[in-house]
Amino acid sequence: MDMKNRVIDNPFTLNEGQTIALKLTINDEQYELQVNPTIKLINLLRDHLNLIGPKVSCGIGRCGACSVFVDGVLVNACLLMAYQVNGKHITTIEGLVGVTIDEVQQAFLKEGGFQCGYCTSGMIMTVKSLLSTNPDPTEADIKEALAGNLCRCTGYGGIIRAIQSLAKSKVAVQE
Amino acid sequence: MKSNIVEKEGRVRPDGYSKVTGNLKYLTDLTFPNMLYGKVLRSPYPHAKIISINTDKAIKLPGVEAVLTYNDVPGMNRFGIIVADQPVLCEDKVRYIGDAVACVAAHSIQAAENALKLIEVIYEELPIIDSPEQALKPQAFKLHVGGNICHQAMFSEGNIQQAFEQCEAIVEETYEVPRQLHAYMETEGGVVVPENDGAITVYAGTQHGYRDRFQLSRILGLPEKMIRIVSSPMGGSFGGKDELNIQPYAALLALATKRPVKIHNSRTESFKTSIKRHPMKITVKTGTNRTGKILAHQVKIIADKGAYTTLGPAVLDFSIEHAAGPYIIPNIETEGVSVFTNNGVSGEFRGFGGNQITFALESQLDRLAELLQIDPIEIRKINLRKATDKGPLGQRIAPTDGAAQVLNGIQKLYEKTNKQYSNSQWKRYGTGIAIAMHGGGLGFGRLDSAGGRLSLNKEGQIEISFGFEECGQGLLSVIENLVVEEIGCSKEDVKIVIGDTAVVPSSGSITASRGTSVVWQSLQKLKDPFKQKILHHAGKMLHLPEQSLYLGPGGVWCFEKQAGPCLTYKECVEQLIDNTVETSFHFPVTPDAISGGHFLYSFGGVKVDVEVDLLTGKVKVLSIDHVVSAGPVISPHGYRGQIEGGGIMSLGYTLLEEAKMKDAQYVAQNFDSYLIPNIAEVPFETNVYAIEELYEGDSYGPRGVGEIGTIAITPAIVKAVHDAIGCWVSKLPISSEEILEHIESRGMLEWI
Repeated sequence: MDMKNRVIDNPFTLNEGQTIALKLTINDEQYELQVNPTIKLINLLRDHLNLIGPKVSCGIGRCGACSVFVDGVLVNACLLMAYQVNGKHITTIEGLVGVTIDEVQQAFLKEGGFQCGYCTSGMIMTVKSLLSTNPDPTEADIKEALAGNLCRCTGYGGIIRAIQSLAKSKVAVQE
Repeated sequence: MKSNIVEKEGRVRPDGYSKVTGNLKYLTDLTFPNMLYGKVLRSPYPHAKIISINTDKAIKLPGVEAVLTYNDVPGMNRFGIIVADQPVLCEDKVRYIGDAVACVAAHSIQAAENALKLIEVIYEELPIIDSPEQALKPQAFKLHVGGNICHQAMFSEGNIQQAFEQCEAIVEETYEVPRQLHAYMETEGGVVVPENDGAITVYAGTQHGYRDRFQLSRILGLPEKMIRIVSSPMGGSFGGKDELNIQPYAALLALATKRPVKIHNSRTESFKTSIKRHPMKITVKTGTNRTGKILAHQVKIIADKGAYTTLGPAVLDFSIEHAAGPYIIPNIETEGVSVFTNNGVSGEFRGFGGNQITFALESQLDRLAELLQIDPIEIRKINLRKATDKGPLGQRIAPTDGAAQVLNGIQKLYEKTNKQYSNSQWKRYGTGIAIAMHGGGLGFGRLDSAGGRLSLNKEGQIEISFGFEECGQGLLSVIENLVVEEIGCSKEDVKIVIGDTAVVPSSGSITASRGTSVVWQSLQKLKDPFKQKILHHAGKMLHLPEQSLYLGPGGVWCFEKQAGPCLTYKECVEQLIDNTVETSFHFPVTPDAISGGHFLYSFGGVKVDVEVDLLTGKVKVLSIDHVVSAGPVISPHGYRGQIEGGGIMSLGYTLLEEAKMKDAQYVAQNFDSYLIPNIAEVPFETNVYAIEELYEGDSYGPRGVGEIGTIAITPAIVKAVHDAIGCWVSKLPISSEEILEHIESRGMLEWI
């Protein structure tokens, strides 16, 4: 099926037939879609475009598992309606990989920044967002930036080490 | 952040790449052609009679394919790991707000939800029992035919009455611990797919695929061989997905509609229906002589079971067993009762009753140390078990010096860094330590079968299989690292097969810190026969004596020719017919017939520093040091992650988390009001020290560390709070109100 040019029924509503046109860019690819106005961004990505990297864990914007970029800004995709991103550029975890994986992904692998992996997509997007604006974050910066991303497995240790290994000064890294 | 264990250069988890790229398909990410969405109607009342259920309107709704009630359960309408007393779909009564009454399959989630609203259930509300104390009153009505006591257990040795008379110091206290949510990030869910021949495949997370198969077989009236369980990977479990959750409903709906059915709980659905850590009230009376030697210890435990049994009896037994912890107490009497109520169901949770009882035990020691003016390390030393002492139930155990090792480790940290913070006008600082002992495996008298399989498969891969699941704990790394080490091959040669009853051997459950033990012990049994089989065959192919060959990276190597393998594994397997070795055995168990008694134990010690804010009453943990004795470390990242992560989970238990119930309804239902630790709550100063040395002659190898990092944290934080402001906390989570009341009553603020 052509993913980039299609009409999307919403499995989350009974009101069939009512759609609006959306033009947007996801991970550097252009999409022209007809979508139901009640669909959320996260459901558009996961259920219709097969971008399953972003997850839904709380559904109310408290856990950050659904974190993506909209025009480079970190957002919770569970709190945005699809129509709100009309004309915008979306980047999901799937869009971070170029020729090789991103340095943040590499750091998570090296430092053990994940266990079950369910928060990891959102966590990596958030770390990417932090380091792109603040290449040398302090402990307070890290706490502020990541406070909206919950991880139940790691206790955040490996995540903190991954960030500190990338920080410009690397002063905080101790082994 | 310090640790004495370091990951080998370049080594990453086998599932790592797919996790950091977001490409890993969890079972809740799966979709199938023609798939329907399922939803379950749960009771709005904690206790009610069902007068009637009418599904006529719901089934007529466009998009709805099936609406099922208890009448549609073909087999036994009950489930439960120990006692099958929980209805799949309730017939005449509901006993808690998670009880299922009907389930629906429809073309969309919205249609399924709308159909739930059209199911007409007439209930007659019944009075509720929302506390164990109420349930134990003689006049209380019975929640189950057998009454309100789910399980009772006790252990005693010596004569506590006489011993208390000789005590110089006695402390008596009641400790209250809350209901805790597992809060795995992936809520329960998956897809059940009907196969052509009337069989089904269940794609849903669990901690024991074969047991899900057994339970589903009873419910569906299908032979076990017609049920395939694919149960890995999972986005966290921590004990919470061991019991059945959505599987019966998706299976019933898939069989009824002959279409794949997906159910994925929302967080709120998960909150209402999932099992939780048992809330307990633990009353303890402990007496010592003048020097701090414990002479008598009396423990009474009341656990809130909630509506159904699941693994409750085993959790209570574990608490009873660990009541004396790593201490030798000559006169002890421990009794416990687990009581049915109309509250949410309590069940298995990482630590398995050890967290609750160790908080009480370690707090008693700290209180006694204060009373006797003894150092907290010293009172523990006086009472500490020795390597060859019997276990806490008087059973023989594998000799271990773990208790002394972790206490000595903690003592060094305690003496080195104590009082590094200086009090300010509004802030007080304190340090606390605690230790814990934790049994691994299921214990004496419990079916605890283990095993694995090793083969050279047709693709020339060394294929290792276990009936286990990857919940996130790092099982795949443990398996890969051990196979590489024991066989001598490279990690590229290894193929790991887990989590699919169609292809894996029985290994028992991935619970009770037993996974690493089972993998290591299996490999000890498998490696020599496997090597012999391959080398015998390779010798014949190469016309060389077996003794001149060995298994190495990429294939079979000759000792005399070191440039590369003489035969690749792929070449080797071509004419190999007998390519598999399999083992099954019982998890190591005490030779003494003491029900539930463990044989292998791990030990953990913790030191924490806290800050208490005198203005807000908030407790902040500033540093955590873990010292763990659990044998050799197989996977450094996995080990460290389990200990750090387990510690933070218990930091939440101590400071933040309570799945509170009011009138048997959950007060919080999502992460907006049930708070788990976020990164701001976590000390960046978290250090893990592993003691890898086992007792001389120990042949049981590495122990699992899934639970030990969660146990000693709570009493250490509570002691640190006492060290800071002199307040003994006995009820969790520590409340800012209680701290502020204490500060005010002591006049600790200058203006008061």
